[in-house]
Amino acid sequence: GLVQSCGHIIPESPVLALGSNFTALCILNESCLDFGNIYASQIIWKMKNKVVPKEQYREINITVSSVTFNDTSSLASPLTCNVLADGQIEQNIYGISVTVGLPPEKPENLSCIVYQLSNLRYPMNCTWNPGRHTFLDTHFRLKYRWSRESFPDCIPKSVNNSCTISDVQFFVNLEVWVEAANALGKAESDRLVFDPIEIVKPLPPHNLSVNSGILPTVLKLSWENRISAAVMKLKFNIRYRISSDTNWMQVPPEDTASPRTSFSIQGLRPYTEYVFSIRCMKEDGVGFWSDWSEEKVGVTTED
Amino acid sequence: LGAGQSIQKTYDLTRYLEHQLRTLAGTYLNYLGPPFNEPDFNPPRLARAERLPSATVDLDLWRGLTDNARLAANYRAYSRLLKYLRGLDSQVGTVELRHRLGHFCSSLQGLVLSIAGVMSSLGYPLPAGPAGPPPSSGTPAAPNDFLKKMDDFWLLKELQTWLWRSAKDFNRLKKKVPPAVVTLRIEARGF
Repeated sequence: GLVQSCGHIIPESPVLALGSNFTALCILNESCLDFGNIYASQIIWKMKNKVVPKEQYREINITVSSVTFNDTSSLASPLTCNVLADGQIEQNIYGISVTVGLPPEKPENLSCIVYQLSNLRYPMNCTWNPGRHTFLDTHFRLKYRWSRESFPDCIPKSVNNSCTISDVQFFVNLEVWVEAANALGKAESDRLVFDPIEIVKPLPPHNLSVNSGILPTVLKLSWENRISAAVMKLKFNIRYRISSDTNWMQVPPEDTASPRTSFSIQGLRPYTEYVFSIRCMKEDGVGFWSDWSEEKVGVTTED
Repeated sequence: LGAGQSIQKTYDLTRYLEHQLRTLAGTYLNYLGPPFNEPDFNPPRLARAERLPSATVDLDLWRGLTDNARLAANYRAYSRLLKYLRGLDSQVGTVELRHRLGHFCSSLQGLVLSIAGVMSSLGYPLPAGPAGPPPSSGTPAAPNDFLKKMDDFWLLKELQTWLWRSAKDFNRLKKKVPPAVVTLRIEARGF
């Protein structure tokens, strides 16, 4: 056609902050002036094929026209530069796509939990509030380091508010924070410093067994702990109910506030079936309770 | 972290490493196979094993050291043992064993850093680098598989002994330094 790449627009593919102002320039090639009899004054700016009001244009010189938007919220793609040539045939010279969005906010409420998976696997999951929607491609990274050593970032998969570090180390303080970044900027959460041993949610005890003894009002509950004492000493909650009843009773926590693998529950009704369940956490109360264990049934002897 | 807290964490980490190594060494020696996994296998210490920081020391001499010297010896030993261990880590066949070795290496790296943290909290300078030449230089690769396995065997054995003694070192040091007090050894800084 008559007009072949007769000009271009700058900036090329801008990413703009919502609510800011924006000016684009359409620059005609000198060659077009002689050949096509085209000048900046003939330029028509369009947004998504809708003509931009002429008040927003300014002719910088015979080859350059600018258009200004006071508030990018109204901007839409494509923004095109066109001319009326050869007796009212409108020709497109150039077009750009405009992306409008927001810089990331500071991620808030960062918190982490180490979920015990087995006696050797302790992944740590961290969650945070990612902040407002930015309308832009925004990347989050969970960053963590020891005082004298950094680790590869944890990159969330298909979410923007959590990440799981597959294997954490205990007894060395870890500094953890979140970084959010997009084309308009970068933001960092507050930094947490903690020893991962302090945020463990252990697995509940397992292999429960209930044994009746000599006394008809006593049952002995035994179990296996699934976290080594070298990792952490545990305390326990034990709850029990009569099978036919829905209300749980609990052994006074102070009675089970130290490491153990069994406990004798007293004051039970003779010749009655009871259901027991147990949970555990770090002995000093730092961290999280495990889930309740599987339930186990036991029957007191006859009186 | 204050000195007391730093020592406590280093002690806990040493115990945690001992715990890990107990099961890890058994699994690894089974991986090496006989005679290395036989309970009464007690080979002589070959010249090759000399490059490892020997855990066998005269206990009176060891106890006679200053806290600074003893911490520095621990720091150098684990720095070197970690280098050897990392050499082990990449060749091991099973995924689970590789994962556990990787986790153990990371824990041991944490111990080296923790010892450094204790030393700085007590005002001691860090040793410039591990004593003796870097492990790889001048040390011929094991000429055969058996000797390579022997190297691995001695590495695990030395580690177990070092960790056993370090736990006692830190336990003793813990009692010397009250938890709340930040100790600043002015004379160690040459004032």
